[in-house]
Amino acid sequence: MRWVALGVAAALAFVASVVLGPAAVPLGDLARSDIVWSLRAPRTVLAFLVGGSLGVAGAGLQALVRNPLADPFLLGLSGGAGLGAVVAIATHLSGPWALPLAAFAGALGALALVYRLGLVGCAALDPRILLLGGVAVGAFAAAVTTAIVALADAAELRNAFLWLWGGLSAASWDSVLVLTLYAPLPLAVLFAAARPLDLLALGEEPARYLGADVERVKRRVYLAASLLTAAAVAVSGVIGFVGLVVPHIVRLAWGHRHRALLPAAFIGGGALLVFADTVARTVVAPRELPVGVVTALVGVPIFALLLRRWTVA
Amino acid sequence: MGIFVMRRWLIALFVLAACRPSGRPPVGPSVQDDAGRTVTLAAPARRIVSLLPSFTELVFAMGAGDRLVGRTAWCDYPPAALAVPSVGDGMPPNVEAVAARRPDLVLLYHSGTNLTAGQQLAGLGVPVALLHLDRLEDLGPAARRIGRLTGRVAQAESLAAAMDSLAAAKPLAPNPQSLVFVVWDNPPIVIGHGSYLDRLAALAGARNVFADVAAPSAQVSLETIAARDPDWIAVLSDSSGPPAFAARREWRAVRAVREGRFLNLPGSLFGRPGPRSSQAVAELRARLEAAP
Repeated sequence: MRWVALGVAAALAFVASVVLGPAAVPLGDLARSDIVWSLRAPRTVLAFLVGGSLGVAGAGLQALVRNPLADPFLLGLSGGAGLGAVVAIATHLSGPWALPLAAFAGALGALALVYRLGLVGCAALDPRILLLGGVAVGAFAAAVTTAIVALADAAELRNAFLWLWGGLSAASWDSVLVLTLYAPLPLAVLFAAARPLDLLALGEEPARYLGADVERVKRRVYLAASLLTAAAVAVSGVIGFVGLVVPHIVRLAWGHRHRALLPAAFIGGGALLVFADTVARTVVAPRELPVGVVTALVGVPIFALLLRRWTVA
Repeated sequence: MGIFVMRRWLIALFVLAACRPSGRPPVGPSVQDDAGRTVTLAAPARRIVSLLPSFTELVFAMGAGDRLVGRTAWCDYPPAALAVPSVGDGMPPNVEAVAARRPDLVLLYHSGTNLTAGQQLAGLGVPVALLHLDRLEDLGPAARRIGRLTGRVAQAESLAAAMDSLAAAKPLAPNPQSLVFVVWDNPPIVIGHGSYLDRLAALAGARNVFADVAAPSAQVSLETIAARDPDWIAVLSDSSGPPAFAARREWRAVRAVREGRFLNLPGSLFGRPGPRSSQAVAELRARLEAAP
């Protein structure tokens, strides 16, 4: 029943996203419209893949650091990606893929730094150090980014901040293809870690007694979730709140078992982002809102309601 | 607090009394700036710092370029402006660097952040004029006031008259060609109604397909650009090749991108209102007519 409802919600979001848009395309022409085929459809698919990736990455990281506040972007990735993007713009890197590649490289750099900081004694990942290291690396990268924007001559750098707010306007079948080839591996790693993640919720010691290879699981989950997030930020900027809110909402219906939680977070995150992007494209047409603004406007009230329920219960 | 303020006033009064040459009241130029302040100079300005490329062009156009002692890093026209020392990018103005040029007039663009800089400079005893310069209509009034402050009234008046007539000109007979000004590609940001570039397009006889957007610039969806199907993509660029985004697959959904119909408009000529605005209109018109 829950799965049916989730599937229906995702299907509705898909249909709405393809049918609705600022350009009026008659229903009968949908299948033949170039606008639908080369812009709306890839954008919808990309939104679903990005939202799903963020949802799964958020669920995995929340289990890993055992902190309900964990968000895929809390671990310094957004700062690193932003730095990469601004460097690409400031140095006039040319080529159609310069910006996403530079953002991806920046996110990987931040990931590597945070990972190294979090490794205690070269083997054990300390979740608290991961969180603190992520915040520190993110703040440092943001400071360097702002310094470049303040000092560089390019007036267009201010627009880089708009890109950082997230958006799917760069969606094309190319970016869909790249993400379709890239995402399955980290997703598979996370889905395979469902059982050890359940055990990890009991604490590291009990999980170890119950047979989980805790250190290996933590490393794998951290790297897989971060690699998913890095790809998401490269194709669509920093889209906040999907990775934070979706796992919590899904947990209300599916409980804490990751075998069900992770796939549900993927479909739920995808559906939410497809819906949010449809709103971003249509509500102020012909203008457009950054989709990160919409996810925050939708996500924060839901999150506040959840917080109320927890504190009352 | 009150005593301190009073004391400061008294000191200022003494200083003023001591400085004023006896028997000769100041008869320098005086204008009202756009912040509502009265700017009075003891004599026509001899050491001017211009903190907007448009002001620099105006000062040169009225023949007072040799009195500029400071400009912004963006002031690149006329070429003689490059010989004037730069005081930084002007966003926000570096008050110390400006004051160090010992100007007797600072021309500042009227904006929220510049108000603070204006107050700081005025506090240092530097006369400051804050002037609007966003639209064609702002050019004439700005030119007249700069002319008064520099003692170039006649030259400024003929400049201002030309710019007023351009601002009042009716758009040329509607050209069938339409265009979109793309300021940024990811996310797509375009120029809307009421902006300087929208006006240039209208005067050149082209139709801005986003003239219905009430903001000077706005983020829009790529599919809106594709659906409105402009004949031309106009970008502010000093290079001649197509912009980098032309190679991105999602932009190929726009017909003008597929057909390579780009108008690369040099930023120095098209990026700001100034004495060369009519030249910009003529050039845009010529480019549109020359094209197939």
